[in-house]
Amino acid sequence: MIIDCDANATYAPDERIRGVISSCLDSLGNPSSLHRGGQRARAALEEARASVKRLIGAGDKDTLVFTSGATEANNSVVAAVADRSGAIVSASTEHPCVVQPLRRLASRGRAVTFVSPNSDGVITTESVAAVVTPDTALVSIMAANNETGVLNPISAIASKVREVAPRALIHTDAAQLLGKGHLSMRELRVDLLTISAHKIGALPGTGALCIRDGVHIEPLLLGGSQESKLRGGTENVFGVALFGAVADMIAADLPGRCEMMSVVRDAFEEQLMRALPDVSINGRGVSRLPNTSSVFIPGVRADDLIVAMDLERILISSGAACTSGKPEPSHVLLAMGQDEERTRSTVRVSFRADLSVDMVPRVLSALTHAVTRMRRMTMKG
Amino acid sequence: MSSEAAEKIVPSSMTNRSIVVAMSGGVDSSVAAHLLSKTGAQLVGVSMQVWDYKKSCSDNSKATCCSPADFNDARRVAAKLDMPYYVVDFEAYFEKEVINRFVETYQLGMTPNPCIDCNSRVKFRELRERALSFGCSHVATGHYARIRESADGFHLLRGVDRDKDQSYFLYTCRQDELGKTLFPIGDYTKPQIREIAREVGLVTADKPESQDICFVAGSVQDFVAKIGGRRQKGDFVLKDGTKIGEHEGIHRFTVGQRKGLNIGGLADPLYVIDLDPSTHRVILGSREDLKRENFTVREMHWVNPQLIKRVGAGESAFELDVIVQVRSRHQGVRARMKVLDKDTCSFTWHDEWAAISPGQAAVVYDLQNEELLAGGRIAK
Repeated sequence: MIIDCDANATYAPDERIRGVISSCLDSLGNPSSLHRGGQRARAALEEARASVKRLIGAGDKDTLVFTSGATEANNSVVAAVADRSGAIVSASTEHPCVVQPLRRLASRGRAVTFVSPNSDGVITTESVAAVVTPDTALVSIMAANNETGVLNPISAIASKVREVAPRALIHTDAAQLLGKGHLSMRELRVDLLTISAHKIGALPGTGALCIRDGVHIEPLLLGGSQESKLRGGTENVFGVALFGAVADMIAADLPGRCEMMSVVRDAFEEQLMRALPDVSINGRGVSRLPNTSSVFIPGVRADDLIVAMDLERILISSGAACTSGKPEPSHVLLAMGQDEERTRSTVRVSFRADLSVDMVPRVLSALTHAVTRMRRMTMKG
Repeated sequence: MSSEAAEKIVPSSMTNRSIVVAMSGGVDSSVAAHLLSKTGAQLVGVSMQVWDYKKSCSDNSKATCCSPADFNDARRVAAKLDMPYYVVDFEAYFEKEVINRFVETYQLGMTPNPCIDCNSRVKFRELRERALSFGCSHVATGHYARIRESADGFHLLRGVDRDKDQSYFLYTCRQDELGKTLFPIGDYTKPQIREIAREVGLVTADKPESQDICFVAGSVQDFVAKIGGRRQKGDFVLKDGTKIGEHEGIHRFTVGQRKGLNIGGLADPLYVIDLDPSTHRVILGSREDLKRENFTVREMHWVNPQLIKRVGAGESAFELDVIVQVRSRHQGVRARMKVLDKDTCSFTWHDEWAAISPGQAAVVYDLQNEELLAGGRIAK
């Protein structure tokens, strides 16, 4: 049996989710068609929209626009402020789908400031306040970091930004927080919020940008009047319907789900510290997602450890999922002030909600065996 | 596969062990993996990311291996054989151990052996280390060569297909490494390998042959100039010092080279007979000028167990009739080898002779031209 401890990369659908897939297929159709096929699809779309809005605590009048994923949602936000004046504030720990579009704007002369985190990985309110000016056009800070799981104080940051820069758009990428903690767009006081479906067990290729009532942004994709004219293109009805169904499942017992994750994660960390006392866990002293452990294991090459664990059928990762065969050192850990060597010895273990705590000893046994073997080799070499 | 055939590839004593299979995405390593998979051994496919072509060549499509497309082929073969597969990053090691030595050797007026450096310093050192850290005991590659175990140790033999034999590149293998290495395709010919690949339906079955030097897309000379960054021009001179032309840098030439000199109007064909890095001169002469009565080989590696024993015991100044192969595409010529010490040998031609290039490997085989005995680098 494979033990998937890489839930932050993607959350493979569990049996319950697989069970609703065929009913989601029934809703397939073009929601713009006038006939019953189209209307059924449109109804499914709106049903899902309501479900997802409930899960993220959006207000009734807020607009949730379905996208092809968090990457598109984040790019839309950056594109929306490209033509506005004013500086942009973000963080060096953001996901590349925020950092790279912003870098492109910066290369074209736009003032963009990337705030650094503290050594625990937190983007503090003070550090954001220090660079926001009345002229700031956009503040974009992620809710939870994908590599460390560390939470940022989004509502406090938003309050501060509103004092100093009432005109600024406030955006948060909440892709990792969704389904792993209390999430309320209204409580966070943000204007724009990004989420992704495959991080909670629905399909990749589906995501959303929620836009607070009263906020207007230009669409990134033109081509049709779909999604209240905010996103052209025939809607991904199947993906969206599944997103809605999964959102309902999660909303039914979010506290219980988070509790199950944290029981496993805490047991893992506690037993790990006992087995390998020299490891250290990034952000352990601050608020984190309940399922994520970013673990520095001295004397071990993270990439080798991932392979060794995979051969034991246990899936872990080294920070963000890598698209090439050439892993770069984690930009998140570097931003936290860690040296490159340390980042290359850090793995991310991110648990699913349906993993039993009984599995923790097997994970730990595989991990300690591999680490011991690698360290023995290093000493010989 | 018959159990006897399987036994030839993997000794039955180790079929429950884990083997890392180095997979380039070509047909040879694909079939190597296939043959091993039939033995029941636990396999782990690994592709080595060794070089980013963008560093040397603007047109990535000319890349001859290590391209994402090659890795996708390897990945598809691994999936078909139901084995786990990983791309492992070796760029830093490869640059230090292979690329830099390659460029420096050319700039010193010598001829490098990047494939030998890659085998000894990357494949059989770094990859083996990774294999161990994955918990795998053995490394298998798609080389055309064979390993035979006997009472006195491991013997390295040429591949059955003499046209494709790659033992020349493997002379740095130590006994402990040979004991942990498998060459599953060494008993097959290339046409047989392609046939197996087609029968099994491997996507790599009809891929073209890779080029000589995997990391060079385009000309070696341009590569050396681009990476080495030095293009000191110099003169073509004859043996007596007469200048007969100019050239774009000694890194563009190899001793024994005849083509590409762009010098005409002389009755006999001219060969590069020497390179002088201090004056940037390329010395030209006739084929006879290339002849050396004898030559010295340094940095000797001993492969045959009996020779390891003799040399290890401090025995020197003994002589042996052997076949010596002085470049990769060379059949080997009979010579008398005199062992001066464990690191150095001198060779005297028997009747035929071959042009030698300092820096190139001289690899020693037995008189049947079958078993690889030793090898080293030809001294200047």
